[in-house]
Amino acid sequence: MKKFRDVAIVGVGLHPWGVFPDRSMPEMAVEAISEALADAKMEWREIQSMVAGTYLWVSQREGMFGILSGTAISAAMGGIGIPITSCANACATGGAIFREAYLAVASGLYDTAIAVAADRSAGGFFRPQSQDPQFDLDYIRYVMTGETNPAYWAMECQRRMHDLGTTEDDLAMVKVITSKIAPLNPKTRYKKAFTKQQVLESPMVCAPLHLMEICATSDGAGAIIVCAADKAKKYTKKPVLVEAAVIGSPTFGDHTIPLTYLSAYPRPGVGILTESRNAIAAAYKMSGRKPEDIDVIELPDNSSWHYFAYLDCMLQAKDGEAEKLLRSGKVDPIDGELPVCPSGGLGACGEAVVAQGLFQIYELVKQLRGEAGERQVKNNPKVALAQTYGYAGNNAACILSKAW
Amino acid sequence: MTAKKQVPIIEGLFTWPSDKPQLIASRCKKCGTVTFPKAAFCANPSCEKVRENVEQIKLSNKGKLWTWTVQQYAPPAPFRKEPLPFQPYAIGMVDTEEGLRVLGILTSNDNLKIGMTLEMTTGKLYEDAEKEYITWMWKPV
Repeated sequence: MKKFRDVAIVGVGLHPWGVFPDRSMPEMAVEAISEALADAKMEWREIQSMVAGTYLWVSQREGMFGILSGTAISAAMGGIGIPITSCANACATGGAIFREAYLAVASGLYDTAIAVAADRSAGGFFRPQSQDPQFDLDYIRYVMTGETNPAYWAMECQRRMHDLGTTEDDLAMVKVITSKIAPLNPKTRYKKAFTKQQVLESPMVCAPLHLMEICATSDGAGAIIVCAADKAKKYTKKPVLVEAAVIGSPTFGDHTIPLTYLSAYPRPGVGILTESRNAIAAAYKMSGRKPEDIDVIELPDNSSWHYFAYLDCMLQAKDGEAEKLLRSGKVDPIDGELPVCPSGGLGACGEAVVAQGLFQIYELVKQLRGEAGERQVKNNPKVALAQTYGYAGNNAACILSKAW
Repeated sequence: MTAKKQVPIIEGLFTWPSDKPQLIASRCKKCGTVTFPKAAFCANPSCEKVRENVEQIKLSNKGKLWTWTVQQYAPPAPFRKEPLPFQPYAIGMVDTEEGLRVLGILTSNDNLKIGMTLEMTTGKLYEDAEKEYITWMWKPV
């Protein structure tokens, strides 16, 4: 692979996660950008390239400006004539636009670039965006079966329990350990730490998943500024090196029926979550890192099932290893040898679909810099890994490290 | 009082009217890949994208349950399911004899087990003054 020039993260910003009915999508993005610019001690006019996340929720709320989110955000910031792209890769959008910003600088075309995404979720279950019974597969699937996102997660979870012996207690403990962080992170929506009993007593949504074992949908926004590594010192004493920024897509013959589809054609030896396994393999390859090099992880804990499935995937471990790691305390988000979801994860913030990947990157940058306050992990991390998983077979992952 | 006419919510996904309804899928004549709903092209990346290579088939209506869950809350519109108030219902992924894994509502919430044999049938989701609107469902044998 041709060697690009090195790229570092020099500024990060987040609008808090929550429900903000009176704030527009571009407004939230402006706040995230302003925080990222202040973090990098950078002027808006120093940004040379921009890529924005876009998702259909915002289009339902804000119409054309929701779809052309980059254009709308730039207008709110004040146009500076730079190239802007808007991108929709479902829940993997944050990671996908981070990769685009990285490539813009790594290629040598630009010295600075920003990835920005804001989302205003509709609340409750996802539903189709059209009423087209001929060509919108998502609509067809939904009206014929009523399959909700948690139903899909629950079906995968049920299968995992059958194949690997995951228990109800294991599922509940995911919420117990990730929610420990909830009161400690000013950017999260929820501030409550849960006991196992509280999780198991919460209403059953789709067996085996209880309400407290699935994530909410939230509003939120994030912005990440990247810069050529050899110029990063101008902006920060603690540049974070981007060792890998990748996107994964599925392999033909994947064993699962991804959300929005009605069928799969499983091929021997392919397995589930191929888009995620492909992205992780690419991230390790690009960085030259191995799973044992990773010190801190942000993963997409949309449900307790995701936590286990993604921990296995991200560590390229044998299926079922994740449950053992959780039981052993090794992945405690603060005290663990390998802290997982020190942000509090999706459980504590709720998913703001397109911005979620940037939330993860923000957290890992704060942890690597030692700026995470009360939720600072204790293992002095040097290398960090994040991954987001998206609707219909989208994925993005990145590996970051200290460059000082 | 004659029974209301039963019509699929969306036409063309299963054979109807029929005593033994079957899902309508497509199969690649070159590599055998099966797709549901039927598609214009074979989904195998190694296959040429030629419309003529793909034929329409009817799936056997026997399958084995790969996984399942019970939805305890009403999915929002445009999904409609009566009677109201909402009754929790099971949904599953079913492996058919053609090697396809298909999603579908299950006719029962009880005693569901991974690996059990199911048969495809149809079931009503809602009705209006003239018609009953149906979808395919999987029934434990």
